[in-house]
Amino acid sequence: MKIVSLAGFSVSYTKDSPPALDRIDLDLNSRESVVVSGLSGSGKSTLCLAVAGLTDTFPAMTVSGEINRGESADGKPLRVGIVLQNFYSQITYLRSTVMEEIAFPCENLGMPREETARRVSDALNRIRICHLAERSPLELSGGEKQKVVLAAAIAGKPDLLILDEPLSQLDPESTAYLGNVLSELKKEMALLIAENDPYLTLKVADRLVVLSEGKIIADGSPETAISPSTATCLDLPAWTKCVSKADEESIAGENQATRRYELNYRKALTLLRGSV
Amino acid sequence: MKVKYENVSFNYNPTAALSNVSCEFDSGKTVVVAGHNGSGKSTFLKLMNGILKPTEGRVTLGEIGTEGKRTSELARLCALSFQNPDDQLFAQTVKKELRFGIDNIGGGDGLYDSIVDTFHLSEHLYSNPYALVYAMRRLVVIGATATMGTPILALDEPTAGLSIREKGYLGNLISFLKAKGTTVVIVTHDLNFLLPYSDEMLLLSHGEVQFSGGRDEFFTRKDARDVMRRSGIGYPMYARISSALDLGKTAFDAEEIVEGVGKKRAGTTRRTNGQHQLEGA
Repeated sequence: MKIVSLAGFSVSYTKDSPPALDRIDLDLNSRESVVVSGLSGSGKSTLCLAVAGLTDTFPAMTVSGEINRGESADGKPLRVGIVLQNFYSQITYLRSTVMEEIAFPCENLGMPREETARRVSDALNRIRICHLAERSPLELSGGEKQKVVLAAAIAGKPDLLILDEPLSQLDPESTAYLGNVLSELKKEMALLIAENDPYLTLKVADRLVVLSEGKIIADGSPETAISPSTATCLDLPAWTKCVSKADEESIAGENQATRRYELNYRKALTLLRGSV
Repeated sequence: MKVKYENVSFNYNPTAALSNVSCEFDSGKTVVVAGHNGSGKSTFLKLMNGILKPTEGRVTLGEIGTEGKRTSELARLCALSFQNPDDQLFAQTVKKELRFGIDNIGGGDGLYDSIVDTFHLSEHLYSNPYALVYAMRRLVVIGATATMGTPILALDEPTAGLSIREKGYLGNLISFLKAKGTTVVIVTHDLNFLLPYSDEMLLLSHGEVQFSGGRDEFFTRKDARDVMRRSGIGYPMYARISSALDLGKTAFDAEEIVEGVGKKRAGTTRRTNGQHQLEGA
């Protein structure tokens, strides 16, 4: 089911600046995870803001074309959650503990206490930050704050969750773990993720959209969207160019410690050998 | 300039962020600091130019201890670029942002020009920094700290939010600073990108040092993987490939992998030839 649909959608931040999004046609469907990649300045964050309906917050911005949002399964307006690239600005600091901070969106949705408590503890567990529950958001590290904002977004159970580089400040172990969490989440909600990390893309994306100078230059399964014409816009590992078939097998056969990476190596290699 | 931490502890009341950290990095070295989220990495950096002062222990830059010194004095020795670039930007234009440090502390026009070139900022000099995309804002902040030409430069998560293009610019800056003899201390999760540039490593876990010393030395240790796992860090991609391909020596970038594979193949061929000769004889 289509939940957001953009047609000929353009955005410029000021009257004179080149368009940040240039005549975009894009449909997002329920329970679909779409990863948007591209060099910085290609329009990833602007697309996230536009889909979330936040373009009105920029007074000088000019918007043209159409954007239509569908309904939630219960007939209410589509619920959208977002984790901004600058997630620091999303923490209210009005609450004295992480637990209360995560409850904030639920409270604003007018949810009953028990339901709020259940969702908060579910989100804490899912993001594996139970140990932070009683801490003050003020004293957390950057990566911990990013996890808290992600947990709060999940607790709201949106129909569409928009994540702008959601793992940028996380350590490699958390990145791998939260990659799995996102793969699970796409069974419950639609995801739109701005991300350049090819591992995360291959793990989570049903669909990869590649942006260049505000235009969509590829839109399809990762297998079809990664091609010689899009490779220059993607953060592909340089080694994929030079590891031969035999070497790939020896990588794949390595022991348990590398199992986490195994699928990604193989998938990336298979995808990229022909294209880069 | 040399950086030395002696038995340094730091508490954010009541949480302990660092306990009994000792390490020493020689002048001109490039150091990566890694560890899980909340391991104390950013705290470690903030102690370097006096934004934070140790609860216990002593931090020394060259011969100068940070105790009793203000950040305004220490910033002449150690410039710090924050984890969140938006916390640091304040000037009306990119040019003013980049020149603020030079006008207040020094650095000189040569350095300013090189950094504008290295970061490809010339067409943005009269833009408001907040009008730039996130990756460029980060480069402006890093540039503004680097232009001061301090003997120590500390960078907190410099690659976060950068796409492959800007990471390349950052790599060029690190090489440039290294050639100038600047000590560069980088907190990062992106070891795959930064290990090729680094001489030394500091690994932290729950505020304690897991390893401090040379990069090459670390990767010859048998327990290297375990130490990294304890610090919440995955074993870096190229190190993993090196061991999977049995290259003998740890590679840190794609070129070193190719070189290693080439050497290994040459070795195998020679052995095979030798065997043939034996069988022939």
